[in-house]
Amino acid sequence: MKSPERKSSQWAINRIDPPMPHRNLACNVLATIALVSWLSMTALAQPAAKKQADISETAQPTPRLPDGKVDFGGKGVWAPIWVLDWSDRKYVTQPVEVPFTPAGLALFKERRANNSKDDPEGYCLPAGIPRYTGTPYPFQIIQLPDRVVILYEGASHTYRVIPLGAKHSADPDPSWLGESVGWWEGNDTLVVDTIGFNGRTWLDYVGHPASDQLHVIEKFRRPDALTLLYEAAIEDPKYYTEPWTTSFKVRFRPGWEIKEYVCLENNKDLLHLGTKEPK
Amino acid sequence: MKITFLGAFTVLLAAAAPAFAHHSFAAEFDQNKPVTLVGVVTKVEWMNPHTHFYVDVKDADGNVVHWDLETTSPNALSRQGWTRNSLKVGDTVTVHALRAKDSSNIASAGQVTLADGRKVFAGSSEADGRKALAGSADEEPGTQK
Repeated sequence: MKSPERKSSQWAINRIDPPMPHRNLACNVLATIALVSWLSMTALAQPAAKKQADISETAQPTPRLPDGKVDFGGKGVWAPIWVLDWSDRKYVTQPVEVPFTPAGLALFKERRANNSKDDPEGYCLPAGIPRYTGTPYPFQIIQLPDRVVILYEGASHTYRVIPLGAKHSADPDPSWLGESVGWWEGNDTLVVDTIGFNGRTWLDYVGHPASDQLHVIEKFRRPDALTLLYEAAIEDPKYYTEPWTTSFKVRFRPGWEIKEYVCLENNKDLLHLGTKEPK
Repeated sequence: MKITFLGAFTVLLAAAAPAFAHHSFAAEFDQNKPVTLVGVVTKVEWMNPHTHFYVDVKDADGNVVHWDLETTSPNALSRQGWTRNSLKVGDTVTVHALRAKDSSNIASAGQVTLADGRKVFAGSSEADGRKALAGSADEEPGTQK
């Protein structure tokens, strides 16, 4: 297999970019680790999965439901790369100069300085939005006439039920995944608007912060059978001076299934992370 | 202890690769502490969020040292073709790993090689690790051997 993706990743491994002002060496090492991990996941020794990967080289047209809307399902899963940083072009379509407020930058720097040791995900707490889409664990999208359900395998097994055409509650109870409502823009774009977060999630591994004022607008598109274009617009006046948007592609893996992932079953790492609480 | 410290940067990448996706790698493991362990597997925990296996390593004086080796999730391993029976209690293994920062006998496993030369679990990083050891950057990574 010598797809363009492989070549591009190989290049990235060999040539680590110079650090951005707000990134440190650990960040770059982590980025490289992620790329190597991604290679491991997607293209390396896969006795069972290799044949499927070969089959998936040929993209088919976008599947559609009888009403013409995009069908985000099929026999398989969406298998994202690990997006460590929603602003870094190593992972996303366009690099983002994140418009931090002073409070946002201070918190981000603190998390970078301590290597994300207090990451809630290390405690097996929910990844939140948009981070669930940037974990390297697969997800499935199930569409019903009045709602969309997303099943996330990791990194802690959960789900979202997104009512279509609904309005937000006046004062939703704060929660890890917030309150989502969805609608269609034409037949090609599913939009999901989420508020009501509890302020305890991180946007990504490197620690872009999110408060209880977080508002995320996600857009899902499927330009061909094997590609999901995912976009997330981030608004959070506590930590960002203005909304910022990130996007990346997720690949469909025909034949793969969602597996059980019980994060608390054997989470021994906390003993060695030097963390006292998620924050 | 039969431990060899290696310095090649890319070796640590291969070693580090499996421990992704759940917690801070850099906070727990030390990229500057690569270690090679040779010992006998005493237990395998095929569980999320990380598969652990335990290896008894004899030091130079014949004392047995217990090591806890962490690798990636069983979900990821199984998608690479491994099973819960790929590594068994009693197997003799050579493991390239990165030690925990707290200097406990815990490490993030990269290459795991059985006595007969077969790679298991993190063997998907095999090609990268082998290439790094050989000092060649020309070969396309990931070619399964």
